[in-house]
Amino acid sequence: MTFSQIPPETRPVLIVSGFVLAILVLGTAYTLATAGTAPLLMPGYLLQQLQTGAFLGIVAAGMMMVIVLGHIDLSVPWTMTAAAMVASAVGGLWAIPAGLAVGLAAGLFNGLGVAVLRIPLMIFTLGVDSVLRGLMVAQTAGFAPQDRATGTMRLLAAGKVAGVPAAIFVWLAVSVAIAVLLRRTAFGREIYATGTSEAAAYLAGIRTRRVIVGAFAASGLCAALAGVLLAGFSAKAYQGMGTPFLLPAIAAVVIGGTRILGGQGRYAGTFAGVVLIVLLNSVLSIMQMPEAGRQVIYGRVILCMLLVHGRSARSPS
Amino acid sequence: MPIPEPAIRLSGVSKAFAGSQALDAVDFDCEAGSIHAILGENGAGKSTLIKILAGVLRPDTGEVRLGGRPVRFGSSAEAAAAGIVCVFQELSLIPDLTVAENISVADPPRRFGLIDGGAQRHRAKAVLARIGCDGLDPEMPVRDLSLSRRQMVEVAKALARDPKGLILDEATSALGAQDVETVYRLLADLRARGGSCLFISHRMHEVDRLCDRLSVFRNGRHVETFARGTRSAPEIVRMMIGRDIAAHFPPKPAPAPRAPHLKIDDLRWPPRLTGVDLALGRGEILGLGGLDGQGQKELPLALFGVLRGGSGRVTLGGRTGLPGSPAAARRPPARIALVPEDRKTEGPMLPMSIADNLLAASYDRVSREGIVSPAREAAAVREAIAHLRIKAARPSDAVATLSGGNQQKVVIARWLMTDPDVILLNDPTRGIDMGTKQEIYALMRVLADRGKAILFYSTDYAELIGCADRVAVMSDGRIAAELSGTALTEEALLGAALNIGPSRAPAEALA
Repeated sequence: MTFSQIPPETRPVLIVSGFVLAILVLGTAYTLATAGTAPLLMPGYLLQQLQTGAFLGIVAAGMMMVIVLGHIDLSVPWTMTAAAMVASAVGGLWAIPAGLAVGLAAGLFNGLGVAVLRIPLMIFTLGVDSVLRGLMVAQTAGFAPQDRATGTMRLLAAGKVAGVPAAIFVWLAVSVAIAVLLRRTAFGREIYATGTSEAAAYLAGIRTRRVIVGAFAASGLCAALAGVLLAGFSAKAYQGMGTPFLLPAIAAVVIGGTRILGGQGRYAGTFAGVVLIVLLNSVLSIMQMPEAGRQVIYGRVILCMLLVHGRSARSPS
Repeated sequence: MPIPEPAIRLSGVSKAFAGSQALDAVDFDCEAGSIHAILGENGAGKSTLIKILAGVLRPDTGEVRLGGRPVRFGSSAEAAAAGIVCVFQELSLIPDLTVAENISVADPPRRFGLIDGGAQRHRAKAVLARIGCDGLDPEMPVRDLSLSRRQMVEVAKALARDPKGLILDEATSALGAQDVETVYRLLADLRARGGSCLFISHRMHEVDRLCDRLSVFRNGRHVETFARGTRSAPEIVRMMIGRDIAAHFPPKPAPAPRAPHLKIDDLRWPPRLTGVDLALGRGEILGLGGLDGQGQKELPLALFGVLRGGSGRVTLGGRTGLPGSPAAARRPPARIALVPEDRKTEGPMLPMSIADNLLAASYDRVSREGIVSPAREAAAVREAIAHLRIKAARPSDAVATLSGGNQQKVVIARWLMTDPDVILLNDPTRGIDMGTKQEIYALMRVLADRGKAILFYSTDYAELIGCADRVAVMSDGRIAAELSGTALTEEALLGAALNIGPSRAPAEALA
């Protein structure tokens, strides 16, 4: 079987997986040569890295739904933060539902703005992000809130089940849910159709507005879940906790082969994209690469992946 | 005195794409001062031929000579500089630029290095006047024009470059009768000035009227070239498809009175629909004709719930009221299907798989509780591909890999899967090959015989006459005449469209 016989949407998944292996091999070669150890091949170390990757993974899963639709959700950072702050402020049994409700509300609001009011999505989601930030700053007077994350939040984010961090299980559960949603449900297929051509999908009798609102709601929910877990991991919510996740989440989706203009992409690619970003970060930190160098290498890997995907998409099938 | 070389000569030209031979050692001549038709089914190599002439593709082997001089174009700009200009079937206008900007897009008039807007407008006005489109505002964005106006702008754009060799690839497929006449006149001018034109069309009557010589292609080979009138239409069709066809159109059943399933009273959507009255029974194919842009395209869209703000009374199977959206239209109780006009943007989702395109309107039929069942999905796709004889290697291939005719079949199959009662066809055979057209005609009749009500808009009169039980001619957003039986002739259609000659009130035509 030659490369051109593989279905186009599967190719990026293989390419990213190849990159992940390459990073593991190169990183291990480096550590063996300099310190004589191979932390990248130790399950404990890898699980710990994946645990921190789980938050990014959950955000990217939701982001992918919106990107397949041909849109993008820039309200993720403060949806995460707001969900975390609300969850820890409410506390008790209702902490997690309250946090998720914040995400769902933000997602529905985004979806309605984009689907019904037809406001350009970048501006709209950026506006929602800004509104949430304002609300949270007003609520906390700009200080880190004093409320602590609840026990359940801490357990889900920082606890372990059978020696494996619980956050990884949450990430896997979200992954299965999103993968099934995209591949095996009418709603998922309609997201792809709408992302390919909204006009054609509408004329095929697909309720495109409902599809758009649904996808944004899913993205909001995922961002909120990641925010709540992150608060559990750090024991409390803090200002700007979601900000470092926006660009890596988009990068993971795009590295994984999802077309940035919508309509194409597989969840397995996004999953592998998250693993790639996480491993790349850990290898760079093992190498004690200074921050500036890390940013350069990180950006180069993203550009390189995009080039490779662009080439493979053009090769005749 | 040496014999003058033909204006365009191809010798031994071959071109292959990823394993398939698009052109196979083609020898072809086109004389100066002639209009030369290129005939062939989709996939016969016509598009490749003209892309080579237009400098878009380079031949693998062989030679192209223009007026005796060998040429090798590296780009379409080089071809244009040599006087070869092409109007492609797929429109190549930029929607966000104005008409004037589009016409001069390749070579805008400049002053001090900047585009001279005044001169550009002036040039556009002059060219538009030449093609009889004086009414068209050069400052209008192309996005706001109808498909037929865009096609005329495309023709204007080509003429603005003053070509010696003009290639028209299905360039009249979306035009109304009046515009087609204008194009004929322009081509006659070009011929009189010693220019030559390669004319690609699937409409035999156009070719018959216009072209001096005809060349038939099949499977990448040049079959034969002959002068007009030396071969009969059935002979030509046989050459094109390599097999005999019994009849062009399926036989019509005897006219019978039918209870209307769809009844339209005074449907208005100003300014395009100004009071449409129409009745359509189950088992009937109702054609929709008339000059271009008289509301024929809007009527199906209004019935399908796409247009907002219409008024009037529509009764469908005993229930009154229009569906509010395509989603409502496709479901019971309305059960309407629409095959849209523009195959590029409205019909198939080109990068998606054939399977997903087929299922786009029927995911609910192959899923339970919102979860798609792989077995039912595969069965439905298999059945649709077999039913319409869609030529596809694998259902997972992108629709973009199919020929135009097969893409259209995918859209039709998508809608048949929903088991509709009313089928609205918006120019379904535009720009597709003869073989597929015939399959679509036959399919329409089979569907009608199964009790579907079919509304069929076409810009091709021969098709309306051959397929429809009854033709409603639209003019100015309303039905100007209804023709059926022996009264349904090309002259009567054109007469009614132009509001000349005897037109009958709908009630009389029904009786």
